[in-house]
Amino acid sequence: MIQKILIANRGEIALRIVRACRELGIKTLAVYSEADVQSLHVQLADEAICIGGPKSSDSYLRAERIISAAEIADVDAIHPGYGFLSENSKFAEQCESCNIKFIGPKAQSIKIMGDKAVARDTVRKAGVPTVPGSDGPVDSEAAAVKIARKIGYPIIIKAVSGGGGRGMRIAHNDVSFAKEYHIARAEAEKAFNDSSVYIEKYIQAPRHIEFQILADSHGKVIHLGERDCSVQRRHQKLIEESPSPFLTSDLRKRMGKAAIRAAESAEYESAGTIEFIVDSHGEYYFIEMNTRIQVEHPVTEEVTGIDLVKEQIRIAAGEKLNFDQKDVEFRGHAIECRINAEDPTRNFTPSPGTIGLYYAPGGHGVRVDSHIYSGYTIPPYYDSLISKLIAHGDNRKMALERMYRALSEYLVRGIKTTIPLHKAILSDPVFIAGKATTAYLEEFLSRTPPDLF
Amino acid sequence: MDLKQIKQIIDLMKRSELTEFAVEEEGFKLKIRRGHNGLPQVSSSGGTLPPYVIAADAGGAASPAPAAAGAAAAVGGGGEKEEPGITYIKAPMVGTFYRAASPESPPFVEVAAKVQENSVVCIIEAMKIMNEIQAEVKGAVIEILVENGQPVEYGQRLFKVKQG
Repeated sequence: MIQKILIANRGEIALRIVRACRELGIKTLAVYSEADVQSLHVQLADEAICIGGPKSSDSYLRAERIISAAEIADVDAIHPGYGFLSENSKFAEQCESCNIKFIGPKAQSIKIMGDKAVARDTVRKAGVPTVPGSDGPVDSEAAAVKIARKIGYPIIIKAVSGGGGRGMRIAHNDVSFAKEYHIARAEAEKAFNDSSVYIEKYIQAPRHIEFQILADSHGKVIHLGERDCSVQRRHQKLIEESPSPFLTSDLRKRMGKAAIRAAESAEYESAGTIEFIVDSHGEYYFIEMNTRIQVEHPVTEEVTGIDLVKEQIRIAAGEKLNFDQKDVEFRGHAIECRINAEDPTRNFTPSPGTIGLYYAPGGHGVRVDSHIYSGYTIPPYYDSLISKLIAHGDNRKMALERMYRALSEYLVRGIKTTIPLHKAILSDPVFIAGKATTAYLEEFLSRTPPDLF
Repeated sequence: MDLKQIKQIIDLMKRSELTEFAVEEEGFKLKIRRGHNGLPQVSSSGGTLPPYVIAADAGGAASPAPAAAGAAAAVGGGGEKEEPGITYIKAPMVGTFYRAASPESPPFVEVAAKVQENSVVCIIEAMKIMNEIQAEVKGAVIEILVENGQPVEYGQRLFKVKQG
């Protein structure tokens, strides 16, 4: 029985978890840094314990302080949110050994999917297509070039311990490959303390389409459809939608089955996401698995009506999923805009500061997942995501129009936000036609003068 | 930061209506506050601030000068008003606070106890490990702010100390 949950996170996802716990009748303990004293979730949680100074490395990443807080407050489970320690297998193990339930998959599943090369290998054995590449890390330039020639250029070199779009370099021929290989290894060593790299065929301008997985601890694994997250800036997602305007129902069926096989290959439990890239011919390839709840989970919640955070908690409590794949229904279309405290007219410079007048949009089919409020000061120590605006409609056209309407109502005074950029994208013919690939945003920015947003 | 720069700051304070100035650099913290008699009081930590700077420019209001090396806690605060010469020993970790090493042992400190920077003042138990907490200030304990066996969070005030 889970009676009290420690929320090892901050910002909007911490608030999301508090809300789910409230509805389940579970007590909440917020752990927070000194910079987050005024944070909304800290005020709303039943209990709160300060675990360190403003920097993440002195607070939200301090596993021992979090577990210590869990012990003195006698919690039953820890929800790690996303980022921070959510995909840290050591932290999951520490929770296990302290008899505190980690709300997420087993430590072993995190380990398998955390190593990108091992993950590819594992899912390939389960019959999931992966991008042609080296079968594991490549340790020498000579070996790497040999494989590169076999696969065919262009080639992308990726850090084994990387992720989230970091630690990647592209080469178009033998000459540039040699240079990029060595740069990639040096960068990987610096950023992740692990210089191991693997190589893959570089798929030009693919779509990023991911499938939401839900798995209980009794062997049932289902998928809740896809999210198209192709609109990205420097590999950071800006807009996500479901269903994908590109997938046919046949491709959706095949990819959904592949996603389930991938999750099963890691003996997965809880909520997770299988990421694919899809080329213009409909060929799809596994990229990685995110073994946590994701930022864009509300998109799936609006289309399926299923509360993913509550399901995570129920699964952690040992309950069986009380629906099957055939019971999952997809209604209408949902889209999410991630709103950041950044100035899109000044190359996305972060804009921390105090929020003056704040008015969030509402009405039928509009959802706002945000922790900010009038008078709140955004701390400069963390990421710049301040709000997720989600719109749902009976079809894509209605969802887009509703999103545009909601963006137009949204008032956030005192700081700069990316709301104007989202409005501009929502008005762009290429995006409206559903033709956005991962190359879209750069192309859009290059033809749109900054003063148009 | 060298002697010349510190003297310049003190001059600036004397000539202006500034009541407080603080600066922090790698391994060095400096705080200057206008004292009750209107003259600046200087406290610093970590760096090699020559004692005669403090004596000469504090113009007689020398109070915390020799304790400067240990006055790190003077910078920053719990959001409450700071009284001059008073500092707090705060919890550097999350856990359970104990006054003594074991239930049978005497408490590490009582009210009026004199402490040095490396005096052990209490235990904070975290995940079955007993961590000895050092004062990190020099002075006398004037109040014990938490109870034996109480859970404490990071930054929580444990002891009120009169510096010196």
